[in-house]
Amino acid sequence: MKSLVRFGLALALIVFAGCGKKSDGKTYTVAVIPKGTTHEFWKSIHAGAVKAQQELAAKGVQLEVIWKGPLREDDRDQQIQVVENFTSRKVSGIVLAPLDSQALVNPVASAVQAGIPVIVMDSGLKSDKYVSFVATDNFKGGQLAGEYMAKLLNGKGNVILLRYAVGSASTEEREKGFLDALSRTSPEIKLISGDQYAGATRETAYQASQNLLNRFGNEVNGVFCVNEPSTIAMTKALRDIGKGGGKVKMIGFDAGSQSVLDMKNGDVQALAVQNPMLMGYLSVTTMLKHLQGEKVENRIDTGVVLVTPENMEQTEIKDLLHPPLDKYLK
Amino acid sequence: MAALTKRFKLAGLLNAVGPFFGLLLVLGLFSLSSEVRPYLFTGGNFKIILIQTVIVAIGALGMTMIIVSGGIDLSVGSVVALTSVLGATLLVKGYSTSVTIVLTLLAGGLIGMVNGLVIASFRMMPFIVTLGMMGVVRGVAKWLAGNQTVNNPPDAPLNNLMARVSPTELFPLPPGVWIAIGLAVVVSLIIRQTIFGRYIFAIGSNEATARLCGVRVPLQKVMIYSLAGLLFGLAGLMQLSRLTQGDPTVAVGLELDIIAAVVIGGASLSGGTGSILGSMIGALIMAVLRNGSNQMGWQNFTQEIIIGIVIVLAVGLDIWRQSRTKD
Repeated sequence: MKSLVRFGLALALIVFAGCGKKSDGKTYTVAVIPKGTTHEFWKSIHAGAVKAQQELAAKGVQLEVIWKGPLREDDRDQQIQVVENFTSRKVSGIVLAPLDSQALVNPVASAVQAGIPVIVMDSGLKSDKYVSFVATDNFKGGQLAGEYMAKLLNGKGNVILLRYAVGSASTEEREKGFLDALSRTSPEIKLISGDQYAGATRETAYQASQNLLNRFGNEVNGVFCVNEPSTIAMTKALRDIGKGGGKVKMIGFDAGSQSVLDMKNGDVQALAVQNPMLMGYLSVTTMLKHLQGEKVENRIDTGVVLVTPENMEQTEIKDLLHPPLDKYLK
Repeated sequence: MAALTKRFKLAGLLNAVGPFFGLLLVLGLFSLSSEVRPYLFTGGNFKIILIQTVIVAIGALGMTMIIVSGGIDLSVGSVVALTSVLGATLLVKGYSTSVTIVLTLLAGGLIGMVNGLVIASFRMMPFIVTLGMMGVVRGVAKWLAGNQTVNNPPDAPLNNLMARVSPTELFPLPPGVWIAIGLAVVVSLIIRQTIFGRYIFAIGSNEATARLCGVRVPLQKVMIYSLAGLLFGLAGLMQLSRLTQGDPTVAVGLELDIIAAVVIGGASLSGGTGSILGSMIGALIMAVLRNGSNQMGWQNFTQEIIIGIVIVLAVGLDIWRQSRTKD
């Protein structure tokens, strides 16, 4: 009798386990919607998503990744349109990097209401309807930058913080983290400008940088920029006025290839580097897990590292600095 | 003689049917793809297309009047941004919904009036005046918003103007869509049945002759731009509801979308021809193009190229049509 029950239980277990892992021959379409498509950061996320798709295909799971950003990179209405059109398209799931933590709340709610799960990546959303939030701990990234800036300036000097855009939760967290670290470790460091915005393109960031340095070029000792285009633009602007090469300490965000080059040349002292490939990869794999009925973590941290000329040659760091984009994006 | 009448009738028919034909053609094109067809022709998708057309459509109502009268207004996008910021700011400061609506509309109308006054009094080219206004208004919007977005209070009734309830069904359509449809009917009646409407066509066809006929051209121009401005303010309110925030950076390039819609709909940029129905269909065509391209998973640049080609084709077709009726 006992063995029969045990046998019955084992059989039941096998059947149910088999049910869970059985490939149901379905094709999943996952729409991945970044904030923009031109910066290398987004291309790395795309590469990560494609990597996930290829690995899943090798395991026999048919998953199609549709990569589509808004036509204009900082246009909230256009990103809303992309989300709406995919809702209509009845994709299996949406992975979204919201341009604005508020404006995208309703479109996401509509998508969820229509039965399409949403994973938020990179930048936060003022909503609780999403399945998971896959992103860097941006506050920590800002803190790492702030602490290193304090170290480079030996606790005193004038610092400029060039912000990115309002409503972009990821960069706002970095700005907060930076200021938090500065106020905690070096109250003697003075923030001579912290209310200017770089905007979405290298061009707008370059103009903002030039204007700032026009005003503060002779007083500033350190600058922190919170994303790829502004880091590259500010570095160029510093070089233009002859303050490159470490005369003004430059700390930036993200491993754009220009920024990495600038760091090799000594114009950038440190870069807070995210892992966008992992972000794209985990977003897609987490979405698949959710679609297959598994429970997933509500918050997935993809990690942030402060890269300096001292550690940039280490192997793991090298992978972060030069993600194999060509391997996945043809 | 009979042949001449027949040709006129055909041309007239083509004129009326033209834009419809374009819309059907575009829909037909996308329905060729078996991947997209099941999703394109659903109630939910049509609802989305309609919602995405509202802002351009309302803007096109005002723009049609301006273009038919021989003018142009490049400041639309900036006005939409400013009015969205103004509306959000008023809501946040605690003003009631009705006061917010009235003040926002008035702001749009005021900007339109300034446009009209400068164009009429100083006899300056509308292109130049509204180009300058575009920059001024955008700057004011950014100043008013403090260089950031202004979030609406979460329970503001205005948030529901463009909200999508039951996303998979065609009905209920949000109030914004009904307002746009209703206004299209009203403005169409104004243009076709009122004296004001006749003056618009007269000024557009031949301004000098209109003046000689006793039409008070400067006054009419101010009225046209002011009325259009009110409509642009309404478009700003719709944008406010859609984003649930006022955004000074929104609607950059909206003026080009609106002008494209009006031109695809059969209006001539030199004035004298145009119809509200045509402009509405032009706006729908662009929304369907965008929606279809999105669903086909085409790259963004493909979309831009296609829309550009459609505009040129539409204008070319229009010129060809006009040359035939002149025979």
